[in-house]
Amino acid sequence: MSNRLRSLGVVLGFLGVLLVLVLHWQVFYWVATERSMGVVQRIFYIHVPAAWVAFMAFGIVALCGAGYLWLKDDRLDQAALSAAEGGMLFTTIVLLTGPLWGKVAWGVWWEWELRLTLTLLLWFIYLGYFLVRKSTENPQKGKRFAAVLGIVGALDIPLIHISVKWFRSLHPEPVVMNPDGPTAPPDMLITLFTGVAAFTCLFFCFFLLRYGLERMRHALVLREAGRPGGPVANGVAS
Amino acid sequence: MKKLFLSIVVVTLFVALLPEGVMAQEGLPDPAAIAGQNLRGHTHMFIAYFIAWLLILGWAVSIARRLGKVERALGD
Repeated sequence: MSNRLRSLGVVLGFLGVLLVLVLHWQVFYWVATERSMGVVQRIFYIHVPAAWVAFMAFGIVALCGAGYLWLKDDRLDQAALSAAEGGMLFTTIVLLTGPLWGKVAWGVWWEWELRLTLTLLLWFIYLGYFLVRKSTENPQKGKRFAAVLGIVGALDIPLIHISVKWFRSLHPEPVVMNPDGPTAPPDMLITLFTGVAAFTCLFFCFFLLRYGLERMRHALVLREAGRPGGPVANGVAS
Repeated sequence: MKKLFLSIVVVTLFVALLPEGVMAQEGLPDPAAIAGQNLRGHTHMFIAYFIAWLLILGWAVSIARRLGKVERALGD
């Protein structure tokens, strides 16, 4: 891995950890408790940032996937794969923290309403992204299929966002990305933005390290291929 | 594995030692009902934070392990 990539990753990691500490101070000591839901509403400060990072990660997957289909540059596929892993992780956090909140706020762990169902669908689409890469004998074909799936999966994201506006939903209306401006109190918004910044820094830290890992794996494959008896020497390299 | 176990212990202690949430808003509709709801809410909130940080930490450890493995392979 290049030193520049590693240094940037470490800086973002430190910044992310610092913001996480600030976030915990805000969540547990500073921000007011929401009147109707009580303390369980504090899950909001990790649930929403996790959703934001997941959507951003899948946006990167779609952009890099489109770039890969166009340019056939392996680096774009490696970046897409790295972002998809992070997207999967943060979507898992969204899907696990949401029901914990829902059980207290709504009285049920899960409801098959549109936003929840589409988020679960997103998780399965990106699970398919990893499966399809491994399921083809020709790795290049697997990468192309995965890129297409990554683009299709990203189309689900705007649907998730607008689902609470267009259809009846248990989810509250957006409190930040609202046409009339943010509706949440300032202390809640500040805490939410700290969470978003912390999760974004941590995501990019791990994304860079993960991308560096893929680059190193690629270098290893190329080196192995150059050896006598390697994949290229046996005529099976893609 | 040792690092992961230590990290889990640190996160658990951090979460367990945190005080109760601040009730900063006035005019609660039914204090008894809210208190009952908050007790349950605390458990759910701590579990949610624990799961989130455990998963993020797990990803970090997993990347570090894979990086180390590939770096060793490249070093050979």
